[in-house]
Amino acid sequence: MSIAGLASLIIGILWLGGGTLWLLTRRRYRLAQIPNFAMDLLGFPVELAQSLFGRSGVPYALLLPNMLIFGFFTFAPMILNFYVSFTGGSSISLFDRPWVGGANYSAIFQCESYFDPRTCSNEGFSFWRGMANTLMFVAIQVPVLCAAALATALVVNKNLVGRGFWRAMFFYPVMLSPVVIANIWNWVLHRKGILNETLGDATGVMTALSGMAGFDMVATILFAILLFVASERTLRAAADPSLAWAGLFALLFVAVFTWASPLRMVGFQALPSLWLGLALGAGLVWLVSTAHPAARWVVMGFTAVAMALLLTIQFDAVFSFERFRPVNWLVTPNTGWPFFWLIFVFTWSHMGFYMLILLAGLQAIPSDLYEAAKMDATKPARAFYRITLPLVMPTLVVVLVLSLIRSFQIFDEVWLLTGGGPGRETFMIVQHIYETAFTGDRPAYGSAAAGSVLMAVVIAVFTFFQLFITRRQSGL
Amino acid sequence: MGLATFLTRTKGNPDKADRIGAADLLAYGYLALGVLLILVPVLWTFLSSVKNERAVSSFDTRLLPMSQVERLIEGEGLKTTWIYTDAAGNTQEVFKAGPTRVETDVAAIDDPANVFKVPRTQLEPNEEIRIATENYLDPILGRNGQTNFTFFTYLFNSVFVTVVATLITLLINAMAAFALSKYQFRGRLTFTILIVATLLIPSSIILVSLFFVVWSFGIFGSLWGVIIPAAATPTGVFLLRQYMLTIPDELLEAARMDAASEWRIFWRIVLPLSLPALSVLAILSVIWRWNDFLWPLIVLISDPSAHTLQIGLTTFSGEFDSQFHYILAMTVVSLIPITLVFVWLQRFITTGIATTGLK
Repeated sequence: MSIAGLASLIIGILWLGGGTLWLLTRRRYRLAQIPNFAMDLLGFPVELAQSLFGRSGVPYALLLPNMLIFGFFTFAPMILNFYVSFTGGSSISLFDRPWVGGANYSAIFQCESYFDPRTCSNEGFSFWRGMANTLMFVAIQVPVLCAAALATALVVNKNLVGRGFWRAMFFYPVMLSPVVIANIWNWVLHRKGILNETLGDATGVMTALSGMAGFDMVATILFAILLFVASERTLRAAADPSLAWAGLFALLFVAVFTWASPLRMVGFQALPSLWLGLALGAGLVWLVSTAHPAARWVVMGFTAVAMALLLTIQFDAVFSFERFRPVNWLVTPNTGWPFFWLIFVFTWSHMGFYMLILLAGLQAIPSDLYEAAKMDATKPARAFYRITLPLVMPTLVVVLVLSLIRSFQIFDEVWLLTGGGPGRETFMIVQHIYETAFTGDRPAYGSAAAGSVLMAVVIAVFTFFQLFITRRQSGL
Repeated sequence: MGLATFLTRTKGNPDKADRIGAADLLAYGYLALGVLLILVPVLWTFLSSVKNERAVSSFDTRLLPMSQVERLIEGEGLKTTWIYTDAAGNTQEVFKAGPTRVETDVAAIDDPANVFKVPRTQLEPNEEIRIATENYLDPILGRNGQTNFTFFTYLFNSVFVTVVATLITLLINAMAAFALSKYQFRGRLTFTILIVATLLIPSSIILVSLFFVVWSFGIFGSLWGVIIPAAATPTGVFLLRQYMLTIPDELLEAARMDAASEWRIFWRIVLPLSLPALSVLAILSVIWRWNDFLWPLIVLISDPSAHTLQIGLTTFSGEFDSQFHYILAMTVVSLIPITLVFVWLQRFITTGIATTGLK
């Protein structure tokens, strides 16, 4: 039996035996009071502290169990981490570990170029590769997660039918365990899975449709009507164009612009047209949202441009897809799909939690501010930028920091979905620590601890940087 | 026009404003899309899990669990059956008496001796809707050689970890919160700051040395190694402390007048009064413990009899990469308890986290 086992046995005997004696000599219990006796026995150390030191001793006794666990399982490992990172070997007995000084750190930093992990030593490659992937993941994940959570919180906060239902639905994935989530998405994203099947069917149907006679004409007329309706509704509202309709109009405009691809005339591929179209659409929405005086004229101009472009589009060519080849979403290297699905699944499974926190922040905003804004005929977009955003900012900062720390520690989802692959495309820093320390025949605890110390430094720097740049908004 | 106005208006004012506009349409569209994205994968997994092995391994994408009818045929054993349509349009239920070729040998099921040739293209599988309960029952009851997924052991371990850890968390966090909210003592600020500091230490950066600590306590590889390190949660302490601050001190003073000991005051007065906060923490703790993954993976992986449901499911999925029908069924099984808890307590969970939400 280990020392800890022996110690807990002795404590247990003292607690139960001593406590029973102590309680029975001082208090009387009837037979029906056995539950009372059990609870008193449970709190025997507190009772003892009170009788020994008076009331001032009680809070220390109450704090003791919590602080013992914090001390042994949070603070002690925190300090021990530094010690372990300076030792080598694979012994799990702390005193048998040889002191190697900074060897673990220098192995990680042994790189010719820090921007290219391939020039590092083995430990360095694994660490820097994980760090680079994690930083990229965090850089994409945190804005995506916060934007999605804020958008959903704003929508759910509206006065809609079935608010509780929507709220609960978006929270549901948070309850699911990472294994379940990974199995579900592995099944959906399998090469022969439902996603590829659906995409194949959809492209097949579209191709068949576009092959029918008169498709080009019908599509042109349809899109012309849609564009006219959207721009008419945008411009109809009394003084300023309406933002929601402008958003719809911008979406249509981007689609038409991309298909017509006017940049091709100057010799570009199709992709730059998409980016230009997106930039133009975003500019339009921004102009309308800030109620710029020129917004009206810009919408009219865009309508004219879109109409002209519409005539040049060959719709039967646009909607005639090649035979869809099933994509092996999580396995094919150098496509970016594994990373994309990682971000998608992470957002899918964590968004609800941050949405709820933001929702609480939104509901704390006093509604008379909005009533006053309505009295002054403020546009909804302006009310959002001037009331909602500043007042929800403290909550948003909390969400930013929480999601940053959370996405830095991503392990479960990656490990179960892609296992860090293909190659090392989705290999994250926690996986590096886990695999260095807990898999393989010769666990390198020292190296893993050095990696954790460096990771802690990076997380701390990021968190403080984030708090620093948002200190004015968050009021910290 | 009157009808359209009536149908699209969302508030009492009949003539002006507050109809369903583009903003509402966009909002409902967004919500519908989001709920589809969330529900479709889960429902698809559930629908796939009740299909039989052949349908799952051939990635049958039909919604219903179709499976080919098998019949016991004298002298031939269990055979899958096919529908043969002859040139005149008559249909007949047959089974294949030889390998599948352009001209396949088949025989009618009621006349197995009379073998005749038919073109392969005239044969259609004879299918019926059947829920493949064996996907669930084989691994759970250990039938058909499926002894690797010891479901009840995993379930017991998961429930044990969840219940015991939650009880310990509730008790010690409530004690700490009581001390921090209702007593004036030296070092109160220090203790508060220490607890805040633990909030800032992410669990994954102390992984390696936590392993050393847990090892030297002799609880590595046992369920206690999962329960104890995470039992004290800073979130829980703060949640309960905020709530206990609202309990009036007069109640405590009155009890002291009646010579109640401090421990009695705690569990007879303070604990019952902070029940709402305790239930929120209980729900949070259950979610955390039930879904916990990385730390149990490190502590429990070497001993299959100590696996929790999550770890058991992981190793099970790793071992049988091709046996998707069992993996899907077991995924659904481990999804059901938490879904039921969610449906049952959904209102408390969402409002509880919204008002306290930190992790």
